[in-house]
Amino acid sequence: MTLPEPTSTRPEHARYEPPPVTQPKAGGPGPLLDSFSYDDDIVRKFLIATFVWGLVGMLVGLVVALQLANPAFNIGPWFSFGRLRPLHTNAVIFAFAGNAFFTGAYYSTQRLLKARMFSDRLSRFHFWGWQAIIVAAAITLPLGFTQAKEYAELEWPIDIAIAVVWVAFAVNFFGTIARRRERHLYVAIWFYIASIITVAILHIFNNLSIPAGAFKSYSIYAGVQDAFMQWWYGHNAVAFFLTTPFLGLMYYFLPKAAERPVFSYKLSILHFWTIVFMYIWAGPHHLHYTALPEWASTLGMLFSVMLWMPSWGGMVNGLLTLRGAWHKVVEEPVLKFFVVAVTAYGMATFEGPMLSIKSVNGLAHYTDWIIAHVHTGALGWNGFLTFGMIYWLLPRLFQTQLYSKKLAEMHFWVASFGILLYVVAIYSAGVTQGLMWRAFDETGRLAYPDFVETVMKLMPMYWMRAVGGSLYLVGMVLFGYNILMTWRRRPATYDEPVIQAPRLAPEYVATADHGAPVPASSAWGRFVAMDWHRAWERLPVTFSVLTAVAVIVASLFEILPTFLIRSNVPTIASVKPYTPLELAGRDVYIAEGCFNCHSQMIRPFRHETERYGEYSKPGEFVYDHPFLWGSRRIGPDLAREGGKYPNLWHVRHMEDPRAITQKSIMPAYPSLMNTPLDFAGIQRRVDVMAMLGVPYGDAVNRAPQMAHAQADSIARAIEGEGGPKGLQDKQIVALVAYLQRLGRDVKAPQVARSTP
Amino acid sequence: MKSLTDVVSGAGLSGYAEIALVIFLIAFIGIVISLFAPSKRQTYERMRHLPIDAESADLPPYRDTDDPSLRRG
Repeated sequence: MTLPEPTSTRPEHARYEPPPVTQPKAGGPGPLLDSFSYDDDIVRKFLIATFVWGLVGMLVGLVVALQLANPAFNIGPWFSFGRLRPLHTNAVIFAFAGNAFFTGAYYSTQRLLKARMFSDRLSRFHFWGWQAIIVAAAITLPLGFTQAKEYAELEWPIDIAIAVVWVAFAVNFFGTIARRRERHLYVAIWFYIASIITVAILHIFNNLSIPAGAFKSYSIYAGVQDAFMQWWYGHNAVAFFLTTPFLGLMYYFLPKAAERPVFSYKLSILHFWTIVFMYIWAGPHHLHYTALPEWASTLGMLFSVMLWMPSWGGMVNGLLTLRGAWHKVVEEPVLKFFVVAVTAYGMATFEGPMLSIKSVNGLAHYTDWIIAHVHTGALGWNGFLTFGMIYWLLPRLFQTQLYSKKLAEMHFWVASFGILLYVVAIYSAGVTQGLMWRAFDETGRLAYPDFVETVMKLMPMYWMRAVGGSLYLVGMVLFGYNILMTWRRRPATYDEPVIQAPRLAPEYVATADHGAPVPASSAWGRFVAMDWHRAWERLPVTFSVLTAVAVIVASLFEILPTFLIRSNVPTIASVKPYTPLELAGRDVYIAEGCFNCHSQMIRPFRHETERYGEYSKPGEFVYDHPFLWGSRRIGPDLAREGGKYPNLWHVRHMEDPRAITQKSIMPAYPSLMNTPLDFAGIQRRVDVMAMLGVPYGDAVNRAPQMAHAQADSIARAIEGEGGPKGLQDKQIVALVAYLQRLGRDVKAPQVARSTP
Repeated sequence: MKSLTDVVSGAGLSGYAEIALVIFLIAFIGIVISLFAPSKRQTYERMRHLPIDAESADLPPYRDTDDPSLRRG
């Protein structure tokens, strides 16, 4: 393959002549050439895993979409919406997009650094370790083992495994950088470095918890602080797992496929630094109008709005890379996928800042609008970039022609149409429900006081979403068939070309080829000449540390005040810890994933206080490990649920929601009526809560007895209301105890005690 | 004994947020100024071509595997 010939007539794009490779002269001095080969076997492994997990994750996505359209699709306790929804999100984010990132990163890193990966063993450990983690997630999430934090649901033993595998990946990656034969690090590598470092920081700090069993733990943070930490993580998981790694892939694979260099390298550097500087501040926009301090919410909004510019800088850079090559887009499915991916990135990164504006967020939050926004990014940006990359890689990795270009074209059009159907339906659903929630009639009362009315209105859109998702899945099947048939045409043995490249000198010596300037005489001249920045590039350790400092310092300035300045979380004297039985009920609520559909956070809007009651205060959540504010209201908010209905209402409702509310789409939980409650295990859970500073008093010594006493009392009350007998040792009693406690501590007017 | 929270709450640290903002802004402006300074054009030009350069040496040639005897599968 020959170097492309840029067609631009702009002077800075004048034809580039690469430095000549100096061959060693026989018997004379010359650079020493190393011989090595690339490890493409690991790339092939990750590629196959990307497809397999993508198919599984999207299939689960279709199932949860159908469950919302018709609750009959909830099967048993293991495959109900509350347990499958996290499985879908984890599978598509960490299994599909994660493996896609690793596929592209292992391929491009070796080539950009002119070095084989540091250790083949570490590469394989990374691959098999990551797949084992995915399998563990696929087993534990349907079993109800969850930390109740979005995209961080996996319990502590799996979290430790993730940290170990991630460190192995990092050692392998940085080891490869250390052995590189290319002095400069291309911008794609910068994006990979930022992703690796930041994901490690996010994962560790958000998952700090105290185990209360083999697959049960409590977050060390509570309430507002836990929410802040979670959405600092949650937003930056999107940023540094779904955005920066894929930007790195874009900056490598888009120029490759277009056979054109990136439009502006300067813009790519600016894109990188602005993303790293700004993204980390944006998390609080997930918590507008909640009990989060106002200043943090505003800070998150401002940085989110500012993010629009660098994001579009990246999009423009991607699209303009195709200048002079647009005719190829007509013929090449790879480029079609890339064009839509970059466009979807642009759309999602315009919409994100818009949604972070408080007044827009007031309408969109808790609705399907957010789901539509996420899927524009996930299906369009991550999905299509992955498809384009893999179609480009298939002939190179399997060393044969792609089985069918026509099939790839069909995949593109079917999936594009699927995205269109999906997002149009769900945007409509989001805006519809948001407007219905806040509608008042001419008498000043809620126009739709019955929550289920606002759900029924969405049903046609939910079915349309299921059709759109099915089309995207059909595209995946076509994709898989093309991969399979291309793989079957692979040669008997793979060629493993031997590459030769000169070693790097131990000390950096600027050469004319590297464009080194004449040393500037003044400090300002040296600064402007970017010598300092070039030094960073040559020293990836320093560069990595500085990237980490940018991320950590920003995080500390934003998060620490909420943890260490009392006035940010005023306490309320009447708020007491949950009783041992209520705590056990809260754990049932968590295991069933109720927080996926029900929020516990009433915003200070009239339409919310009219519907749900007094707005939520920060001091109400000081004993909530973890917080359960939720992010989507598929059902009504439950923050003031306590005392609203009799105990028997809850029992009947859990047993068969449609017996109480005919049009309800909530799954039924009849198993709660029969499943015994683990009274003996309650003590350990109370003890862990006490370790975390919850003032449990007597319960530290006699939690099971206290739980039994309360359970007997509630069971008698249910029986007295005409309900079934013998529920005193079943999970349903604990859940009823918890639901009846919600919001009761602050129902009476209270004066908040605040220490300035 | 006062806790860390007591100490930090009473330390009057609110002004530090502005200081952090100014430091970040200065760092960012520094990057922007240096990035668009009229130098290093050749360096950036070389960097732009890195992905395409690398491919020239390492792309395994496609092989015509239409002949089944050449295939593994």
